[in-house]
Amino acid sequence: MAKTKEISRRIKSVANTKKITRAMEMVAAAKMRKALEAVLKTRTYANLSWETVLRLAKLSQAQSEPLHRLLTKRKKINRVAIIVITSNRGLCGGFNSALIAKIKESIVRHPVKTDFILVGRKGTPLYGLPNTEVAAEFSKEDILTSISEIAPIGKMAASDYLSRKYDKVLVAYTDFISASSQIARVKQILPVDLNVDEYLGVASSNPKIGVTKEMITEKSNEHLAVEQGKYEFVFEPSPRAVLDKIIPRLLEIQLYQAFLESNASEHSARMSAMHQATEAASDMVAELTLFYNKARQAGITAEIAEISAGANALAE
Amino acid sequence: MSENKSIKFEIVTPERVLLKEQILSVSVPTTSGEVTILPDHIPLISILKPGVLEIHLVNGEISLMSVSGGFLEVLKNKIVILADTAEKAEELDEERIKNARLKAEEMRTSEKFKDDVEFADLAVRLEKELAREHTLNKWRKLKGFKKE
Repeated sequence: MAKTKEISRRIKSVANTKKITRAMEMVAAAKMRKALEAVLKTRTYANLSWETVLRLAKLSQAQSEPLHRLLTKRKKINRVAIIVITSNRGLCGGFNSALIAKIKESIVRHPVKTDFILVGRKGTPLYGLPNTEVAAEFSKEDILTSISEIAPIGKMAASDYLSRKYDKVLVAYTDFISASSQIARVKQILPVDLNVDEYLGVASSNPKIGVTKEMITEKSNEHLAVEQGKYEFVFEPSPRAVLDKIIPRLLEIQLYQAFLESNASEHSARMSAMHQATEAASDMVAELTLFYNKARQAGITAEIAEISAGANALAE
Repeated sequence: MSENKSIKFEIVTPERVLLKEQILSVSVPTTSGEVTILPDHIPLISILKPGVLEIHLVNGEISLMSVSGGFLEVLKNKIVILADTAEKAEELDEERIKNARLKAEEMRTSEKFKDDVEFADLAVRLEKELAREHTLNKWRKLKGFKKE
């Protein structure tokens, strides 16, 4: 009897866990819908602005003198910064570990001194990696409501880049592709460079979601080429005044979009992790119920055997 | 008049795509004055300031929008406006704008602001609300004339 009691206790406990994971799944699904809406709303704007930035970068490359300091590539890379966008909470499957693995991989590939700017609480495994340092840690709100919330991060990145503390600024985030697939990605945001261009959105050339290098080239050829790949642009009031305003702003938008993508990815990763947990709990309950019934049956059989043995002994 | 020439036009804000279609011309408030862009304009990048956007659609109608800042990019036969915020005139709510403007004005005159940053913030807000009000007035006028 003792065995059946133990099993039934376990069944109860698993069933309770299942209730929790199911609730979490539903909460994550609701949050995902919201985050997704936010991503999709900003995507057109972000992609169009990224197109503009790349066009400017291309223009800058074509000229003998770079248009803006934020567009200039540096020859020697001494130190890079990576802005790492992780989640605040766990229980979201491989969301954070995939991102961190991606970062480690990129560090191994580019062995320069790296500073991390952590956003979100789950970036702690990056402390203490060789040749790296954590320069800053920003807290992250669970729901990102406005672009001004991430402005300090963007400003810090831009000013540290301009002061030559860093020669490259990258952002590590998770791209939202669909509810069932998210990709961890490290993207260079400073200096803006056409040749290493990675775009927010998807690895496919789906024009609805991402902008590729080919598309930019094609578009600038279509819209800008005057003669033989010569580009002409008028800046009003002056190139400096325009670019000083436009480039930081556009970078901010890229960063903002990266945050939104990460948020949507986090919630959908949590949703699928919790869905799996719920399913696993159901399986476990079914298995335990089987054990329970077997144990109960065994108990009854043993009791009957005992009784009938007793009866037999009395009859003799 | 360029009667049959049109140009691709797209205005987006971080929240939505407001308009994406062929237009005849558009007048845009920029920091260096209002510019009107017609088809075959040379490529241009400029900064917007709060004000009224006047779009001449292909069907002859005029669409007014209020913008609060952003960027204008003119490519070869394509205009892109990346606005911080933008509203169509017909969506504007007079009551709300008036209240917001009065509030901003009141706060500015009451000298309650803590520092320069906040003051600048207020000034910008005021300017935006004024732009909205202006848009609405202009739109009313436009519609009024059409009815007669």
